[in-house]
Amino acid sequence: MSADDVAVRVDTEVCIAGGQCELLAPDIFEIDDDEVVAVVRGDGRLPRNVALEVIDRCPSGAISIVGGSDHIPASGP
Amino acid sequence: MSPVEVDLRDARTFDRGIPHEAFARMRAASGLHRTPDDLRHGRGFWSVTRLADVVEVSRDPGTYSSEVGHIQMYDIDEDCLSARASMIDLDPPVHTRLRRLVSSAFTPRHVQGYRSAIRRRVRRQLDRIEVAGDGDWVTEVAAPIPIGVICDLMGVPEQDHDHLVELSDHLVAGTSSEPLPPDAYGNTTELRLLPFNSPAASAMSAYADRLAGRLRDEPGDDLSTQLLHAEIDGERLSPAEFANFFRLMIFAGNETTRSAMAHLALHHAAFPAAFGRVAGDRTLLGGLAEEIVRYSSPILYFRRTVTRHVELGGTPLAPGDKVVMWYAAANFDERAFDAPLEFRPDRPTTPTHSAFGGGGAHFCLGASLARLELVELLDEMFDRGLRLTVGEPSYVDSNFVNGIEHLPVRVDRDRRRPTTTNESTR
Repeated sequence: MSADDVAVRVDTEVCIAGGQCELLAPDIFEIDDDEVVAVVRGDGRLPRNVALEVIDRCPSGAISIVGGSDHIPASGP
Repeated sequence: MSPVEVDLRDARTFDRGIPHEAFARMRAASGLHRTPDDLRHGRGFWSVTRLADVVEVSRDPGTYSSEVGHIQMYDIDEDCLSARASMIDLDPPVHTRLRRLVSSAFTPRHVQGYRSAIRRRVRRQLDRIEVAGDGDWVTEVAAPIPIGVICDLMGVPEQDHDHLVELSDHLVAGTSSEPLPPDAYGNTTELRLLPFNSPAASAMSAYADRLAGRLRDEPGDDLSTQLLHAEIDGERLSPAEFANFFRLMIFAGNETTRSAMAHLALHHAAFPAAFGRVAGDRTLLGGLAEEIVRYSSPILYFRRTVTRHVELGGTPLAPGDKVVMWYAAANFDERAFDAPLEFRPDRPTTPTHSAFGGGGAHFCLGASLARLELVELLDEMFDRGLRLTVGEPSYVDSNFVNGIEHLPVRVDRDRRRPTTTNESTR
C-alpha cells in the first residue's frame, strides 16, 4: 500500500454488474453471485490511477472514491 | 451545419459498411446533425456522432429515455411499445431489476467457465473449413460459434440452433427494404406489434413458449430455467415477458458477435502486420479483440428519446426529440482516438470505444462473453497459423447492424510459422 492509494465504494442501487471493475481490478472487485452487484473486498484500497480508470470505465457510474471530490453518496437506505 | 448528402434512414447508405466520410463531416460540424421530418418515415431525428456526446446520452437515462418512444429511429405506437418491451426498451429501476435476473451469468469471472466449451466449438468449425479448404466464413465460422454459445446458455438443444439462426437473420432483414411476407412462419400477429416488424419475431416467441413448457417440466442448468423461476416483487415473468427476454438474448448474443467474427476475417486479411504481431505476442489478444469490436461496430446505432429541455453537443433539445447515437461514428472520433482509421491492437484502454454502448444501464450485457469468444477464435487461428484469403463480402441490408451476410474465404496454413499446441496465454 502506498500513500497514493485511495479507498473506493460501490453504490449497489446503481450497479448493473457490468463487470468492468472485476476485469480491471479483480483483487478488489467481485460480482457477488447472489446480490449481483460489485462488492469491494478487503479495505477497498487501490492505487489512485487504477481507481480512476475503474471509475471511468464503470458503465453505471456506481463507483466512487471515498471522501473524494467526485464522491457521490449512495442512494437508498 | 455543412451539407451531408447521405440518407441515414436508407440501408443502402451502409451497403459497403460504415460511411466514414459522412460521419467525419457530421463530427466536425457544430451541433448535432439533423435528419428532417419526412412524409414516408415520419419525424426526423438528431444524430449523435461524437464519443463524448454518446457517453453523455448513454449515462443519463433520466434525460434520454429508452422507455419513452422507441429505440429504433422510426416511431411505433404505444401499444406496440408495450407488446414488444424487453429490458433493452426500459429505463431504471425496472430495467435494473430485469437485468439482475441474468447479469451474474455474464460477469468477467463467470464467463471464464465457458472457455473450454467455446474453444471446442471454435476448433470444430475451424476443422471443418480447413478440411474443405474454402467456404463461407459466415456460415461456417462466424455464425455457428456465437449462436451455439448463447443457445447453450439459454438451454436450447443443438438440433434447434439452425432454426434460431434463421429466425435471427430475418429479424435483421426486417429492418431492411425487403421484408418477409406478413404470413411467414404462419404468423397471424399484426406486424406493427412485432419487433423489427418481422413475422420471424412471432416464430421466435412461439419457440420460446415451447421451450418454456419443456423447461417447466424438466428444469435445466440454464438461463431460461433461471428466468422462468425468478421472481420480481413476488411475481414471475409472464409468458410474453419471457418470450421477449428470450428473443432479446438470442438476437443480441448471436447477431453481434457473428458480425464481429465476420469482420475479424476481413481485418485479418487487411491488416496482416497487426495480426502477425499479436500471433507472436498473445498478451495483446485482448487488445486485438477490442480493436476488432471498435473497428467493426456491429450495432450501428441505438436511439433515445429526450424527456426534458437540455443542450447536447451545442444543440438545444426539447422533450420528445429523438437522438440517434451512432456508435459507428463515435468509435472513429478523432478527438478520442489517435488516427482512428488505423487498426491498432495496442490502443490505450481509455477512452473506451462505444461498440458495447457508451456506458450506463444498457452497457452490453454480453461484453465479457463476446470478448472471450473473439479471443478464443483468434488464439486458435494463431495456434494453427491460419491464413485467410477473403473474397467480396456481402453486407446485411440494414442501417441498424453492420452485419456481413456472406464472406467467401480460402483457408490455408502459413508454412513459415511452426504450428504450436501451447495452451493459450494471456
